[in-house]
Amino acid sequence: MNKALKNPITYIAFIIPTLLLYALFFCYPVIVSFIYGFFRWDGITEKVFIGFDNFVRLWDDEVFRKALLNNFYFMVFSLIVNIPLVFLISIIISKVRRMRDFYKSAVFVPVVISTATVAILFGVLYNYDSGLINQFIRLVAPESWAREWLSDPKLALLSILIANAWQNVGFFIVLCLAAILNIPKEIVEASKIDGVNGWQETWSITLPLVKPVLFVMLLLSVSGTMKVLDIVQIMTNGGPFQSTEVMATYMLKVGFRSMELGYGSAIGVAMFIIILVLTGILQRLTKSEEVQY
Amino acid sequence: MTARMKNSQWWMHSFLFVYVVALLFPLLWLFMSSFKTNRQITENTWSFPTSFNFDNYVAAWSTANIGKYALNSVFVTVTACLLTLLFAAMTSFAISRMKYEKMNKAVYQFILLGLLVPAGALFIPLYRLIQGIELFGHKLYDTHLSLILVYSTYALPITVFIIYAFMLSIPSELEEAGIMDGLGASGLFFRIIVPISVPALVTVFILNFIGNWNEYILSQLFITSESLRTLPTGMATFNDGYRTNFASLSAAVIISIIPVLLVYVFLQRQIIEGMTAGSVKG
Repeated sequence: MNKALKNPITYIAFIIPTLLLYALFFCYPVIVSFIYGFFRWDGITEKVFIGFDNFVRLWDDEVFRKALLNNFYFMVFSLIVNIPLVFLISIIISKVRRMRDFYKSAVFVPVVISTATVAILFGVLYNYDSGLINQFIRLVAPESWAREWLSDPKLALLSILIANAWQNVGFFIVLCLAAILNIPKEIVEASKIDGVNGWQETWSITLPLVKPVLFVMLLLSVSGTMKVLDIVQIMTNGGPFQSTEVMATYMLKVGFRSMELGYGSAIGVAMFIIILVLTGILQRLTKSEEVQY
Repeated sequence: MTARMKNSQWWMHSFLFVYVVALLFPLLWLFMSSFKTNRQITENTWSFPTSFNFDNYVAAWSTANIGKYALNSVFVTVTACLLTLLFAAMTSFAISRMKYEKMNKAVYQFILLGLLVPAGALFIPLYRLIQGIELFGHKLYDTHLSLILVYSTYALPITVFIIYAFMLSIPSELEEAGIMDGLGASGLFFRIIVPISVPALVTVFILNFIGNWNEYILSQLFITSESLRTLPTGMATFNDGYRTNFASLSAAVIISIIPVLLVYVFLQRQIIEGMTAGSVKG
């Protein structure tokens, strides 16, 4: 009976292509990036082993610290702005009786547009003279309120955060909405009989029951914001005056513009470790919380 | 009571309606701007275009080379997705249905490690690797094949994860019937398991398609020939060159969005399901 499914030749033929690709384009770069991290190397001359110097340098590198801080701003923004907004919108969509599918499809539209296109779109929206944002401000407020959104070091990061939120919030709304609609009807009805009102229901019934999906959102936000790259690179490429530099843009600059491949790899390794530690902590924190209906 | 409920429904609809309009208005505004001249965009920001003037579209299409880049994107994206699907389905079949318990577990765990490491941290070694590889005397660097291979690889872990879970849930009675009919392992795979797994295959195909279609950084690193660029890279280059020409820029953005939106209108349920599949199950 089991003979057909115990065929070593087919077995090997079926797993080898995957393992080959995986070993070559994934495992090899992972190992090599750790190794590069210990060398000084411009990609042309001989590598020089310098031990932990790259990592020590990272510790003292003002630009890297600035970049890391900006990644944290991304994370904080998505935790205190994006996720509450997602929860609010999802709750409301789950409570309306009609047009639920319409709202769901509409909020998801920005998600299917490529990040490169979103970055260009917002570049146009943020333009000083003719961009939608400033023109709207001129319509409702004095002219002096118009801003150079992307070339003002104080505003550039915020402007990118908003563009990023515009693109990502819909994805999370759909996740969260699915979880809310998955809550068994009996629970909600039972609570209504017990005289629970709308806000109490949201706060003490819905919120605890969708904790697992909130956790998934948290995890995706943390790892997503730590490795954010495309949108920053196209909108400002870290400028003005490195006010929007993030780890990934800095890594590419160090690696490809300054040709410091060793130091660039060290930044990549640091990024990887930071993501692993943060998601590890999150997983530890929420491990004990299981939901039971 | 009913009056109050009706009232609250009305409020919620208004709220959502305002939200959706605010969210999507930039796209509508861009669409209107794409028919205006640069001057009209600045002076008559809010008005409808006076005429449907396609000059911007013609200019964007020819200077931004969007048609060519879109074709490149289709080729790279579809090939990479099919390759991922084939390899991942074969591997998932082997490790979910074939009887090599220890090996199965080891392979699965090994591939899932890929979900932990962000590709973003690996750009430098990956770039060096691609530059160093030669296939049959041709450099891999600056070819579509380099993108296809790398995209396929980075989609493998999540694809195996989803297909494996699906295949594991297929009852073994179906397989046994196939074995009675004299099918071998590969026969079982192609004739029985793959046809049953189509829903899962469609889901991951969509997930990977959108990911590859939108990928920007690798395509920018690996491709230097202008004629081989994919759509996101082409758009970004156009943006660098025409930063102040909003009329053309708007038209270019609209051209690149419209096909995506059209597909989305027809396949929205599948697309939403596909794109969120990895996170729900993950």
